[in-house]
Amino acid sequence: MRRRGVVLLSTLLLISFAGAQTFSSIMPVVMAPVGNVQMRPGSSKDVTLDFRVGPEFHINSHTPKSPLLIPTALKLTVPPQITLAEVKYPTGQDESFAFSPDEKLNVYSGDFSIDAVLKAPANLSAGTYPVKGELRFQACDHSACYPPRTIPVQFQIIVVK
Amino acid sequence: MRQNGIVFAALVIVILGMLASGKYLSRTRPHGPLKLVGDVRGVLAPDFTLPSLDGSKVKLSDFRGKAVVLNFWATWCPPCKEEMPWLADLQKQYGKDGLVVLGVAMDDSSPASIAKFASEVGVNYPVLLGTDQVSDDYGDVQYLPTTFYLARDGTIMDKVTGLVGRSEIEADAKKVLNTSYKPISTMQTQASAGGGKTVAVKQAAKGSGR
Repeated sequence: MRRRGVVLLSTLLLISFAGAQTFSSIMPVVMAPVGNVQMRPGSSKDVTLDFRVGPEFHINSHTPKSPLLIPTALKLTVPPQITLAEVKYPTGQDESFAFSPDEKLNVYSGDFSIDAVLKAPANLSAGTYPVKGELRFQACDHSACYPPRTIPVQFQIIVVK
Repeated sequence: MRQNGIVFAALVIVILGMLASGKYLSRTRPHGPLKLVGDVRGVLAPDFTLPSLDGSKVKLSDFRGKAVVLNFWATWCPPCKEEMPWLADLQKQYGKDGLVVLGVAMDDSSPASIAKFASEVGVNYPVLLGTDQVSDDYGDVQYLPTTFYLARDGTIMDKVTGLVGRSEIEADAKKVLNTSYKPISTMQTQASAGGGKTVAVKQAAKGSGR
C-alpha cells in the first residue's frame, strides 16, 4: 500500500514537471512518430513523415514567395549504404493573414507530410540502419513571428532479405 | 503488482520524453541571464552599443533626453515589414520633437540584405545589427516584432509584442514624447536641496514635458 502511494506521488510529481515544461514551451510544429521502415535490398521506399502545425500557427512552405522568408526544409543523414534519392515536399497554400491582408504567403498549416525516397542497393546486408535529421521551419501566428527552429527527425530502416 | 510496475515505467518514459522534447523545442539556443522579466514598465532600459548599417556604433544611452522607440524586427518577419513604414512616418513626423526610432535587426541575413530590405520598406531611421546578448538583456526577444517605448530618461514606458495598429503605435510614441528628462547634474543639485537623490530621480521619471 505504501509503495503504491510512493508510485502515485512520484507519477504526479513527474506529470506536474512535464506539464509545466510543455505549457511554458512554444511548439508550433510536432512530428508524428515514425515506425520502423522495412526495405529489401535493391528496393526503393517512400517514407512519409507526418507533421502537425499548431492551430494558431503557420509556417513557410518549402518554396516561399520571397527569398527573405525561411523555407521549411528537411535534412536527413542516412547511412552510407543507403541513398536518399529525393525529398518530396507538399505544395503550400497561398494565404493572406491579418497582419498583411494584401499579401499572399505560401504556407503550411494544419497537417502536412514530407516524403523521403530511400534506395537500398542490391548488395545491402540485412540489419538495422538508423536515419537521423531535422526539420527546420519558421513559424508565425496572426500577429508575430518566431525565429527559425528545428525539430529532430529519426527512424530506423530494417533491411530484410 | 508487476502490471503496476510496467504502467509506471511506461508513464515515466512518456513523461521523460515530454520533458526532453519540451526542452529541445522551447529554445534554439541557450541564453544567458535575462535582465528584463515580467512587467518591465518603469525599469531603466538596458544599455547597449551595437553596430548600425552605416558602419557606426550606436549606444542607446547616448539618446538620453530623446523619446526612443526601440523596435526589434527581422527580414523574415512579415508583420515587422508591415509596421516599419509606420515607424518611418513617425520618425518623419515627430523627429523634430525628439522622437528617435531605432530598429534592431534580429536575423542572420547579411548587413547588405538587411540594408536592401530596410531601404525597400522606406526605413529612414538607424537600423542596428542585434545580438543574442541584447536579446537576452531585453528578456529573450523571440516574438517579433517587439517594441519598447523608452521615456526621455531611458526608462521603459511600455513593451508591445506582435503587430498592433498604427494608431496604437502612434499613441505609445506620443506618450514617450510627452515625458521629460533632467540631466544627472540637475538632478543631483535638486537632490541635495531636496534631501535625497532617490526622490529627485523618481520625480524626473514621472515628470511630463507637456
